[in-house]
Amino acid sequence: MGSKNTFDAIVIGSGISGGWAAKELTEKGLKTLLIERGRNVVHPIDYPTTNYNPWEFPHRGTVPLALQEDYKTVCKHYSFKEDTVHFFLKDAQQEYIADKPFDWIRGNQVGGRSLLWARQTQRWSDFDFEGPLRDGFAVDWPIRYKDLAPWYSHVEKFAGISGNKDGLAVLPDGEFLPPFEMTCMEKHFKAATEKKYQDRHVIIARCANLSEPAEIHLQQGRARCQRRDLCLRGCPFGGYFSSNASTIPWAQKTGNLTLLTDSIAASIIFDDKQNKATGVRVIDTKTNQVTEYFAKIIFVNAASLNTNLILLNSTSRRFPNGLGNDNGLLGTHMAFHNYRGRVEATYDGLNDFTISGRRPSGSLMPRFRNVHSQETDFLRGYSVLINSTRNKATIETGFGKDLKQQLQNPQWGNWQISAQMMGETIPKKENRVWLDSNKKDMYGMPQLHVSVEYDENDEKMLLDFQQQFTQMFSEAGYKNIVAKDTKRKPGNENHEMGGVRMGNDPKTSLLNKHNQLHSCKNVFVTDGACMSSTSNQNPSLTYMAITARAVDHAVSELKKGLL
Amino acid sequence: MRRRKALKQMIFVAGSAIFLPYCWQNSRNSSLLLKHIAIDTDIEKMLLGLSETIIPTTETPGAKEVSAHIFALVMVDDCYKKEDQQQFILGLKAFQNNCNSQFGKSFTNLSATEKETFLHGLEIGKPTDVALAYFYKNFKKLTIQAYTSSKYYLTKVQVYELVPGNFHGCVPLKSII
Repeated sequence: MGSKNTFDAIVIGSGISGGWAAKELTEKGLKTLLIERGRNVVHPIDYPTTNYNPWEFPHRGTVPLALQEDYKTVCKHYSFKEDTVHFFLKDAQQEYIADKPFDWIRGNQVGGRSLLWARQTQRWSDFDFEGPLRDGFAVDWPIRYKDLAPWYSHVEKFAGISGNKDGLAVLPDGEFLPPFEMTCMEKHFKAATEKKYQDRHVIIARCANLSEPAEIHLQQGRARCQRRDLCLRGCPFGGYFSSNASTIPWAQKTGNLTLLTDSIAASIIFDDKQNKATGVRVIDTKTNQVTEYFAKIIFVNAASLNTNLILLNSTSRRFPNGLGNDNGLLGTHMAFHNYRGRVEATYDGLNDFTISGRRPSGSLMPRFRNVHSQETDFLRGYSVLINSTRNKATIETGFGKDLKQQLQNPQWGNWQISAQMMGETIPKKENRVWLDSNKKDMYGMPQLHVSVEYDENDEKMLLDFQQQFTQMFSEAGYKNIVAKDTKRKPGNENHEMGGVRMGNDPKTSLLNKHNQLHSCKNVFVTDGACMSSTSNQNPSLTYMAITARAVDHAVSELKKGLL
Repeated sequence: MRRRKALKQMIFVAGSAIFLPYCWQNSRNSSLLLKHIAIDTDIEKMLLGLSETIIPTTETPGAKEVSAHIFALVMVDDCYKKEDQQQFILGLKAFQNNCNSQFGKSFTNLSATEKETFLHGLEIGKPTDVALAYFYKNFKKLTIQAYTSSKYYLTKVQVYELVPGNFHGCVPLKSII
């Protein structure tokens, strides 16, 4: 065991949760190795397209077909454009087997998808954490909102979350920077809806953009969000939270971080004699050489599916079916968010008004279905992201001087409003991932089978969303209402969760309430893989809070000599 | 302060980066380095003329000044499926043939008025040739896209702000026209 390869802690994955693990561990004085499979992306110098104007893109945003061929999984995703293509993993770099249609969206660089996320940061509530127990699905969460609330505050203050204190039980308030502004269209919809429905609220969504930075953000070298809404290119101002702009440089400043890029964590080393994990086997993606790194504690934050893959691939005499997998449940009870529903409409009122600038967020209707009791023929509910805008449009008929005259004099169109469904799905044993016994990827890692699909509950919820929003838009006086089923595949919403779920009972869960594997206590899983259920809110903020809480416990246990 | 300076330099470097989306070749047969479709200098000249007829240069720049026909060719070459590229080329040839049989000369040799007459026919007449209709519709669409996403258009007509600085959800139209 060479001392060069020995650390106090190892974190696998530098995305949104891994970045937090690295920050918290290094701040607490632990020498920490952060392993990332992709290349390094240094803030703000490795954002090649960030200051391009639209005309500077040779294809004005469209990714050429020859390049799309390399990205068949992700090429239909809204975030895959000419300005972001360099932040995604190519299919060939990690093949997998989708037994049911599943889009596995992966970043491939330091920061992972924290560069590409939609930055929606709503807290979960006890309506979420008590859901499985009340409605009899999945497994009871071993934590409640009160366990996480101080950690939500902790991460919100550092990350910088804009929002309004709305005082809603279903969506707890947090530590907010000033909110972004709702459009007059959204205010109109809010007034119309809240007048008719006491339990339906339209609020400005909370998001991880620095509407106005606080001192802690300036200390990170981050500046005020400039309302460019070009976040996915990487922000030269550090206007939104990413591992690259925030947690990783912060961890580096402690002097305790070692960043290892272009390195795939292949498996976790388990020592039968010591009865604990001792390190990680790492494949160098450039040389294919395998190196072992050692530490007292290991945080697995490889993003849900890869976290499952690594644990399944970590076999030993003690754990022949994967690390911590005594009950055979590792890789099962995967879930995601149902984003299939979308309702769009136009409004021919508010004609004297428009918007100016670009807002990196939207408005939100928190869940209103089955909140206090079961009232529909489907379980759980959905929240809805609401966006509206007003554009100038040109008529493109004819040719010559007439056409040019039209192009040079664009006219204001009507207000447009859209509602995007975000539905909770029910984790089920049959929605699962497992390793193929033969097929390997280009680095020799086993290929992952993914068998995850919608069920009847999702279909019923989709229908309800479409009906409710068609009705609400109609009641608000909107026209041209179109309710869509976009048929987005599971995974395409970027919110794959589960497989290594938390729970009180080692017979029915993999992780305890502090995210330690029940049967290998010095291994912690705090990314999406740990989630016992999915709520209907974007999960990243909850991953961050769970991670900071788990690190606090890990370091305290370590100091007591218990790990 | 050092960071701020670095940031400024970074913005300067990225903002002034020059894009070279296409390369010129010294060949009579092919002026553009395209990967999938073959375009000779005559066709290129014809497409330039067509783009100018669609969005003419007046006292303000038109399709020619924003090199709309080159953008259109790059898009067809890089972003169109093989069958769509074939349809585009078929339609282009039909466009030429149609012009020849109607006027006894190539589109490039038509007077400005004749070009307008020919396009007028395409706009109002029912397209009997599917490929020709496809070519005209798509070339026109790409010409308009090139124009409305050009530096000229986005700095002089509908101004694009790279860094708006602020967002307001409700402003009177009067205040921004």
